[in-house]
Amino acid sequence: MAKITLTMRSSITVPLEAEVITPDGLAGKSEEEIKSLTVYHGNREMKLGDFFDVSVEGSGDPASTEIIMKGDLTRVKRIGEGMTAGSIVIEGSCDMHCGALMRGGKITVKGDADAWAGREMRGGELVIEGNAGNYLGAGYRGEMTGMRGGKITVEGDAGDYIGEHMAGGEILVKGNVGILPGLSMTGGRIIIEGSATMPGGEMTKGEIIVKGEVYDMLPGFRFEGEEEIEGKRFRKYTGDLAVRGVGKGVLLLG
Amino acid sequence: MGILIKNGVVYDPAQGIYGEKMDISIDGDKIVEDVSSPERVIDAEGRLVVPGGVELHSHIAGGKVNAGRIMRPEDGRKGRAPRGRLTRACSGFSILNTFSTGYTYARMGYTTTFEAAMPPLLARHTHEEFEDMPITDKGALVLLDNNWMTMEYVKAGDLDRLAAYVSWMFGATKAYGIKIVNPGGVEAWGWGKNCSINDPVPHFDVTPKEIIRALAKVNEELKLPHSIHIHCNDLGHPGNFETTLETYDAVKDITASSDRQVMHATHTQFHAYGGSSWKDFESKADAIADYVNKNDHITIDLGAVMFCDTTTMTADGPMEYSLHTLSRRKWSNHDVELETGSGIIPVAYSPKVPVNAIQWAVGIELALLIEDPWKVVLTTDHPNGCPFTFYPEIIALLMSKPKREEMLKGVSDAVGRRALIATIDRELTWGEIITMTRSAPAKILGLSESKGTLRVGADADVAIYDIMPESFDPAKGYREIEEKLMRTFYTIKGGEVVVKDGEIVATPPGRTYWVNPVGEKAHAMREEMLKDLEAKFDAYYTVSMANYPVQDEYLSHPLEIRAG
Repeated sequence: MAKITLTMRSSITVPLEAEVITPDGLAGKSEEEIKSLTVYHGNREMKLGDFFDVSVEGSGDPASTEIIMKGDLTRVKRIGEGMTAGSIVIEGSCDMHCGALMRGGKITVKGDADAWAGREMRGGELVIEGNAGNYLGAGYRGEMTGMRGGKITVEGDAGDYIGEHMAGGEILVKGNVGILPGLSMTGGRIIIEGSATMPGGEMTKGEIIVKGEVYDMLPGFRFEGEEEIEGKRFRKYTGDLAVRGVGKGVLLLG
Repeated sequence: MGILIKNGVVYDPAQGIYGEKMDISIDGDKIVEDVSSPERVIDAEGRLVVPGGVELHSHIAGGKVNAGRIMRPEDGRKGRAPRGRLTRACSGFSILNTFSTGYTYARMGYTTTFEAAMPPLLARHTHEEFEDMPITDKGALVLLDNNWMTMEYVKAGDLDRLAAYVSWMFGATKAYGIKIVNPGGVEAWGWGKNCSINDPVPHFDVTPKEIIRALAKVNEELKLPHSIHIHCNDLGHPGNFETTLETYDAVKDITASSDRQVMHATHTQFHAYGGSSWKDFESKADAIADYVNKNDHITIDLGAVMFCDTTTMTADGPMEYSLHTLSRRKWSNHDVELETGSGIIPVAYSPKVPVNAIQWAVGIELALLIEDPWKVVLTTDHPNGCPFTFYPEIIALLMSKPKREEMLKGVSDAVGRRALIATIDRELTWGEIITMTRSAPAKILGLSESKGTLRVGADADVAIYDIMPESFDPAKGYREIEEKLMRTFYTIKGGEVVVKDGEIVATPPGRTYWVNPVGEKAHAMREEMLKDLEAKFDAYYTVSMANYPVQDEYLSHPLEIRAG
């Protein structure tokens, strides 16, 4: 077992590109080696040690490595990008792209995560105890495929376009979401316990469950009757028929 | 002063030099007989020394290229490199940014790059991107075939006014050659239709064949350095090889004004299909190659397909729409007023899809079945068949049967039934490859004095690859070809070392070639033509005629060729 603690010394305004912060990238390294890793601060090449105090206890492979991040991380981007194993605990809020392209392991964000959290993730688990921003689990600009696997849980609310182009895996939001969750979805499952606006636009496959209010229901969905899930009644729709009449997507509205 | 390249194994097909150990001397920006006290001596130690590569058909600058960049941010995510000491930030896999385009071509040993389709109205944009593209010398072919002025003069049979119009347009757009793209079909697309070679263009009552013949005659009357450069009708349609052959035959009786072809037919891979539908789609590379082998008025380039996720972009708007109906991927369409149009759509060529696998085979077959390498140029119609960064792998396929056999294992078995590639044993030599990538394109463009050769007096554009041709077996060493042709040992452009050990070491601006037709035919009917053109501007154009021509300031490094 290894426990690596990274403590941000002071607040920054220009974002820090910190994709090196993964169990895969830090496991087995000494404090000095970790401090000397390259990060971009805006367009400047800097060292991780220029921003963080580093302490390492024990050692181990990525799967047995836990990274604890402290301090003001609201301008630290891409934490845990592409990680395959181990865990990261962010004791506060973080900037965009947290857990992007993640393949395994677990990230826990104790505060909020900004846009693109879990973008294009393929596996592993991302837990956001506060709120999530826009494009949670989505594909990046222009991509045809978003999240393909793994699980994202948001205890609070999430923003707009969550699960855009989602192809697999599961997103659970316990609060409300914004406009067009599951836009152009081709697989996987989104569960929204609060309210949502225009869910499922252009979806061709996959499932979206909305337990709260739905605003501005889109016209491309066909009502299929009522269905009971875990003792609760849901209205079942299929769509979005606006896309070549495919309509294999399922909307379940509570 | 100058550079001496010692102990190179030189291939310069234009001079009949095929693998001779000799020295090359450079003084200033030219190749010279010898250089007395060279400033720099490069010992090539038996490496392959060849003229800088000449790209004669590539989509690298202008409106649709940039629209492709905007439309495909996901493509921009690939190929990224941060700013370096000398280099600007790079991005893009199929649609590289301007900087990356210049650096990548130079690293691969290419020093001359032609943009294949410039809409006249977007000429300013094309030249602005040229100025932003480091290192290579450039030029642009201007689209003049679906143009209302052209079609009306063709209909009236008035080739003198057409010649005046073409020459005025060369000056207004700073163009190098005449490009023809799906003649008539792009105009017909404005009415939701398309044209094959003998269909009348809606509202103009001329046929594509008449447009092609008229522009070919005007091209020769104006004594332009390049011939007409054509993207035939029916691109991508099963069974289109008959249209292609009819197009070639349409200009057979026209005499070239200089020692070159009368027609250069581009990305022939997309025009060499048999069958009547996607189900019986097959290679007709043999029929095309047979025609080219028997006729000297025609040259072609490949437009080879390799398997990847690329972006197609062409002035052929209706073709791009038909691709969109097949794949449903995001699609863009553009109408350029009285002149032309364009379309863009991403395409993923998959080895498992029978049609894609046959397309791949056709590109390679054409290069192997055409006997004379002076008639066939290596291109991928970048980025339509695949990005130009696949050239090293394509060269490996052409030089190595084992490489082809290895690749055939992973493609759809339709290739075995409906293509010829598996039956061809020919392996191209270095001499043939250097011809197809340097000497032939330079000659076809009419630049054989300055480009594609290491003759005394030519531009000092040289590529040295880390390959020892005297001891190297290309058939076995195909992996090495793929690796070594990607990054030169040295690239010299205009007498300046721009690449060393695969790294950019200098980024001089390239020059822009343009042709100024000055002969009698260029001016005889100019006044009359301008009256017709003014009427078009008054009635239809969104810009005034005074604001239309590209000002000289847009070409910071012009190289004017006077023709006629």
